[in-house]
Amino acid sequence: MDEVESMIGRGREAIDMIIDADSLQEGIIGEFQFDPELGPGAVVGTVTIGGQPATIIANDADEYNPRFPVVFAGVIGLEEGYKMALAVYRTITVDKEKPLDQKRALLLIVDTPGNGPGKIEEIMGMNKSTGGYQLALAEARKAGHPVIAIVIGRAISGAFLCHGLQADHILSLSKEFGTMIHVMPLTSISRITKLDIELLEDLSTKNPVFAAGVNFFYRLGGVNEVVDQVEGMRDAMIRHIDEVRELKRTGQFDKLGPWGRGTIGAERGGRQTRKMVIEKMTEEFDAVADKYLYA
Amino acid sequence: MSVWNQLQKNSFLESSARQRANGIVDNGTFTELLGPRDRVSSPHLPVLGEAVAFDDGIVTGVGLIGKRPVFVISQEGRFIGGSVGEVGGGKMVATLKLAIGAYHQIKEKYPTSYQGRLPAVVISFETGGVRLHESNAGLLAHAEVMDQFQDARGKIPVISLIGSKIGCFGGMGFVGAATDLIIMSEQGRLGLTGPEVIEQEMGKDEFDASNKALVYRTTGGKHKYIMQDCNFLVEDSIEAFRTQLAEVLTLSMESIEEMRRVGSQKLVEEQLELVKLAVELDPRDSMDVWKYFGNESPAILPELSLTDFLKQAKRRVRKVEGGSVNG
Amino acid sequence: MALQQLKFEFKVNNPIEFSHEWRHHGVVGSGDLEILMEKKDLGGAVQVQVVTPVVGFDKVWGMVLEKIVKENRLGNISIEINDNNATPIVVSMRLRQALAEAAKDVRKEV
Repeated sequence: MDEVESMIGRGREAIDMIIDADSLQEGIIGEFQFDPELGPGAVVGTVTIGGQPATIIANDADEYNPRFPVVFAGVIGLEEGYKMALAVYRTITVDKEKPLDQKRALLLIVDTPGNGPGKIEEIMGMNKSTGGYQLALAEARKAGHPVIAIVIGRAISGAFLCHGLQADHILSLSKEFGTMIHVMPLTSISRITKLDIELLEDLSTKNPVFAAGVNFFYRLGGVNEVVDQVEGMRDAMIRHIDEVRELKRTGQFDKLGPWGRGTIGAERGGRQTRKMVIEKMTEEFDAVADKYLYA
Repeated sequence: MSVWNQLQKNSFLESSARQRANGIVDNGTFTELLGPRDRVSSPHLPVLGEAVAFDDGIVTGVGLIGKRPVFVISQEGRFIGGSVGEVGGGKMVATLKLAIGAYHQIKEKYPTSYQGRLPAVVISFETGGVRLHESNAGLLAHAEVMDQFQDARGKIPVISLIGSKIGCFGGMGFVGAATDLIIMSEQGRLGLTGPEVIEQEMGKDEFDASNKALVYRTTGGKHKYIMQDCNFLVEDSIEAFRTQLAEVLTLSMESIEEMRRVGSQKLVEEQLELVKLAVELDPRDSMDVWKYFGNESPAILPELSLTDFLKQAKRRVRKVEGGSVNG
Repeated sequence: MALQQLKFEFKVNNPIEFSHEWRHHGVVGSGDLEILMEKKDLGGAVQVQVVTPVVGFDKVWGMVLEKIVKENRLGNISIEINDNNATPIVVSMRLRQALAEAAKDVRKEV
């Protein structure tokens, strides 16, 4: 494939490519208006896509947070995590009375290098911010909102856990776009684990459980579909919103989200052991269940 | 004296994952699921020449506290830092799934008298999060655990015990924060970024990881107690953790939900107030925050015995008494 | 680079039967190991399997294990060890602890 222009750091452009033209109402969800100063590293707002309302949540790599200097280049900081969580809860509230198949979609545009590591962040308990956002997304997903993520640039470790991995479906631009999905660069892994860098490099070409990148994540079930053109992002998002909505309408929640990705990971041959572990534990519990359930 | 009785006096900090799992439920009730005899070790470590363990460093199983089935996940920090890979992650997810399944079965069997029989999940954390040797599988497992937590919301309590050497950091730091209720000892540590990583990222001036007192002031049990980021602070013994756990299990699910820190819009709004405070105070040290919450001589707090600390320490006053699911 | 798998077999006269179906002991910490012992009809023999990252110490393992087997007159038992760089002293100590614990606690498995 020819060289293509990377989308890293271009979250706002990606929003425009995906949503209906000029439909972004930034900082607004239903009646609620976000404080414009809050969490500049994250864009939240209401859009329409294919004529339907949706909530968008994206990283903004161009902004930095003057109050929390660790936030720049798309880092999800203390404020950003809570802002994103709030956007999700506001979305749930707006559609509270709507039937399951009319809950608006949440679109996550993912391009984040990490969570903010810092002393103030730890003192205040940054883990609550990122954990809270994940619970919010899980709640929205279970309430019927289609939650679709698309990785346009960097999806790194804990930041991808909070912004992406709780989605119903995850799409990703192909590796030609320089997309990065991983926990840590090999050099850092080598330093921490004291494993030989050559060995790790070799492993990273073949073992999906270890290797970085979109294609390996696809085999693990961590990415549902790889999109190979920016022009294709919008259609793919619309298609996945519809697919997810239909699965929810027919009660097939088990095929979606992290649990669904586990099943896909086994089907694609990337995560076989997980399945065996869950089955065997269930079997062992069933054998002793009476003693515990009806004590 | 039985093994269980001896375990009760053990330091929680020094205890292995299996000792903790056995000791925090009623005497002789713990059944390990996917225990060492099943020999399910990580299939990803041998190729790296890394030692394997028959339990992959996570002990899972079920015990009883009274008539309540208590599903236990207990992480072993001595095995690759308690890191979570494909097998260990699968064990965590399966335990949660079984507990939620048990909830439905019990409600069906005892439609009017299920209250004192409902299951609980207890996680004894000792981990830095994702196992780098099988990082992708570990990361995906974290997301699955969070997903199960949300399924458990309002049905069965998910309770964290944090008082082991490695603490609870990395992706598992989010996971710990997302549980209903957290019991810690002074020696327990909870956070997102471990001290070494902060030092490496921010420089020794911002954070000196070798300064143990600083590390404990920032992520240790006493700090988390003042911040209301842990609910209970107990002595460093298996018995103390078990006693607190048993007490908590007498509470209604509604009261337990009220102890959450995040998990609803109201709670997120309350946390945002704390973020505002961080900006106003710009604390150089946790002690600045302790002082703000009314502790006139914050420097003495780390020195106090647990009893004196619990008597004297002023905690952050919470505006929201928890929040219901989507409250 | 891959993990080493070592296998040993020993036999002593008049072995003492192992009093448990199975026992587990230890944690695979750095410089430490875990031991899984299982009663098995091996015609009186002892089978040991060691999984270790350390290369080139087969002989030492054999000597340490044989000593323990003789000392305790083990028989009809399979012993599996996951090792992470334990020294021979630690190996002997853990095996002795495991056997002592098993002997003390014949009432029930923990």
